Amino acid sequence: MAEFFEYYFDRVFGLVLRLLGDRTAAEDVTQEVFFKVYRAAHQIDPARDPGPWLTAIAYNACRDLWRSSAHRMSGKSRSIDDEAIVEPLASTANDPEQDALMNERERLVRTALAELPEALRTPVLLYEYQGMSHQEIAELLGIEHAAARKRYSRALAALAKLLKESLG
Amino acid sequence: MIDDIDVLTPEEREAAAAVRGLRMRGASSAFRDRLQTEFMTGSISSGLDRSRVREVPGVFRFPARWVPPLAWAAAATLIAVTAIGLNRGPAWQVKDVSGSGIIVVGNLPIPLEHSEQLAAALLPGARVRVPPGATVEVMAPGNLAIVLMAGTDVEMPASPGRWFGRGVSATLAGGQLRITTGPRFKGARLAIHTPEADVAVTGTTLAVICEPQGTCICVLEGHVDVGARGGEMSVVDEGRRRFVFNDGRGPEVDEMRPTERERLGEFRDSMDEALRR
Repeated sequence: MAEFFEYYFDRVFGLVLRLLGDRTAAEDVTQEVFFKVYRAAHQIDPARDPGPWLTAIAYNACRDLWRSSAHRMSGKSRSIDDEAIVEPLASTANDPEQDALMNERERLVRTALAELPEALRTPVLLYEYQGMSHQEIAELLGIEHAAARKRYSRALAALAKLLKESLG
Repeated sequence: MIDDIDVLTPEEREAAAAVRGLRMRGASSAFRDRLQTEFMTGSISSGLDRSRVREVPGVFRFPARWVPPLAWAAAATLIAVTAIGLNRGPAWQVKDVSGSGIIVVGNLPIPLEHSEQLAAALLPGARVRVPPGATVEVMAPGNLAIVLMAGTDVEMPASPGRWFGRGVSATLAGGQLRITTGPRFKGARLAIHTPEADVAVTGTTLAVICEPQGTCICVLEGHVDVGARGGEMSVVDEGRRRFVFNDGRGPEVDEMRPTERERLGEFRDSMDEALRR
């Protein structure tokens, strides 16, 4: 169990944080995922990769949160923009100017992602961030393969437009 | 991921790369450590339950679908409250007091000289006990004027409402009431209950007198319905009186006594102008 947690915690948290765009909500959903894992621990097949199963649990928990009246009333997911101000990204180089530029660019990308509707944001994040295929995304979302590809394309088109506006 | 590259525009390819290039953002070590401990020890609880509790920080939020019916309910309540307020008939005013002593309204003793305090206490249903040797004239402008004679013990009626709630009632336990109605009383109804009689007034001048043997109802003008308590009502015409006995005897109907006719006439004349204002 300890190894399982060590291996998957960051992946689960990273996915739900990007899907939700809000750190507090991401913590709640991550806790929900591991709560469900704990309850179903006896059903886990060590011979199979639990990755897709965890992704499905995480996505469904995010969806439950999106659908909850409390979440709707609170104004949907918050922009990651705010979070970036509170918690600057770790420096990756010794050049402060380069760091500042990279942080700003990331902030704009996250803001643009947060502006996408959930139906578009999810496929592009699962594809680009989680490395899932369109077929796997289609199965997870319960839609046709072609629809998953379409959503991905629309998401990138919308994202490109938003980034063009913000990055110039 | 390669399967889409061919169909993407350069801008879309750039957007995809930007998403892919977002750096990993880790959880706080405090959250990670807490969750790991709970996960390993089995004390982990539902995160969504926690989220729901957090989303309601002590302030109840109405679901959006409740807003239209609640708005209608609030508007209806406002209209109802306004209508009830506007409908209320004029409050009792003390027109004249003779004699001296202490009148008791509810459990509140009020010197007869304090007519403002007395008027404020004359609420519908208030029990009023008039001291011996005193009389109190009260009036609801346009509606009703009543003289509470010495020794009267009565539960005051409300002033009839303007549009609804036009039926009002009083309970006379002892003493005597002289009553005359004004122009705004038209369509209203005053019921007076004594220990042995029910009286229904719809516009007239009359006296209701509680005596040791029963209740006497003297009608100066118009007509009044009178009956034994809970019994059938009979009409008492102008200039007549009806005595309802308390010993089981049948009612006695006769001409009004001249003295009573004279007193009621004076009362009506004295109130007539005031009631028409």
